[in-house]
Amino acid sequence: MSTDPRTEGWPAGTGRVILDEVDSTLDEAARRAPELTAPCWILAHVQTAARGRRGRSWAMPRGNFAATMVLPDPAPARHAALRSFVMALALYDTCVAVTGRHDAFTLKWPNDVLLNGGKLAGILLENPGGRLSIGVGVNLVEAPGGDEVEAGALRPVALASETGALVLPEEFLDTLAVTYAGWEARFVAEGFAPIRDAWLSQAARLGETLTAKLPREEITGVFETLDSDGQLILRTPQGQRAIAAGDIFFG
Amino acid sequence: MTENTHDADVAFVKALAELLRENDLTELSVTRDYGENNALSVTVSRHQPAAVSVPSPAPAALPAPQAGHAPAPAPSPANGSAPATSADPADHPGAVTSPMVGTVYLQPEPGASAFVKVGDTVDEGDTLLIVEAMKTMNQIPAPRAGKITRIVVADGDAVEYGAPLMIIE
Repeated sequence: MSTDPRTEGWPAGTGRVILDEVDSTLDEAARRAPELTAPCWILAHVQTAARGRRGRSWAMPRGNFAATMVLPDPAPARHAALRSFVMALALYDTCVAVTGRHDAFTLKWPNDVLLNGGKLAGILLENPGGRLSIGVGVNLVEAPGGDEVEAGALRPVALASETGALVLPEEFLDTLAVTYAGWEARFVAEGFAPIRDAWLSQAARLGETLTAKLPREEITGVFETLDSDGQLILRTPQGQRAIAAGDIFFG
Repeated sequence: MTENTHDADVAFVKALAELLRENDLTELSVTRDYGENNALSVTVSRHQPAAVSVPSPAPAALPAPQAGHAPAPAPSPANGSAPATSADPADHPGAVTSPMVGTVYLQPEPGASAFVKVGDTVDEGDTLLIVEAMKTMNQIPAPRAGKITRIVVADGDAVEYGAPLMIIE
């Protein structure tokens, strides 16, 4: 385990914890949070109880990337969710940087990174109050089989098989920490507007028809934009709908 | 507002009224933000027989305005203090409101037991529920200690900024 960031270019003042195995980096972040006074990345080579949104499992073979970024002192609760887009942009830049491929990656609302149209990475944020934990999972070497995801969900893909790039989790982290620090500084200094613009410029299916599945309803409409709170704006025959949470399916 | 939006608003109010009946609620308040300075605040209440009221669009920056409460039973004027049973949970002094727009989850994850139930005593800071927005799971803490006397929202509900979630007395 290393807690001493010696990596060249690693953002000053940010912690770096590397674990071989843990239940989930989000859970580890919750345990360590009380003693953290500065931002910290926690990476694990193996997660034994990795989790996705609302109790979904997240497959995590060795070689894939799993890390959680803890911000001990995030913006007010209402703005915490905007970090979804900040991290998505950092992840996008990291994927481009480690593969040299500028045209292969896109973003799916709110924070999935797609590679050749398949799902490469996912981000889940936990805001228990007083801190924000941003969990990031990337299929560097292996993607779950198509039968392990829900019907209608995007095909899972891995970086190695799609691009030929073999990237170690710790190398990936060193780049992601730097790109995140850059976007985070921009967010703090300039607010959500530049984050929103940058996100929209890499968005998949902008102007096309999407379906958002919410607990109570399904909304199908043309993906128009993001609003100033980061909500997905769909134009439906009944008018514009703003979506804050839901699963997005491409039509 | 365009004709289209108007139709959508009418459909929205009808859907709320249906929700009210189906869940045997007496009142439901919702604010929808469409964008800058363009919001719709609706309160539908049911007081034998079901009634629906629709206020005109309100500026987004304002807190949920009091929609005209349809035929409320005339309260007894005997008690001079604040009405004991305000129809709108947002008016209740013990109301805990949503700090953000999102989807409500009453359990930490599907299949788990709820964070709290009516009758529970909570300490300040205890998690009451989760509001999900942009894949961020926001745990909403109890702003003060007390007893949960009412849970206004149901699991999976979409809530707006400032919407009442629970009453703690």
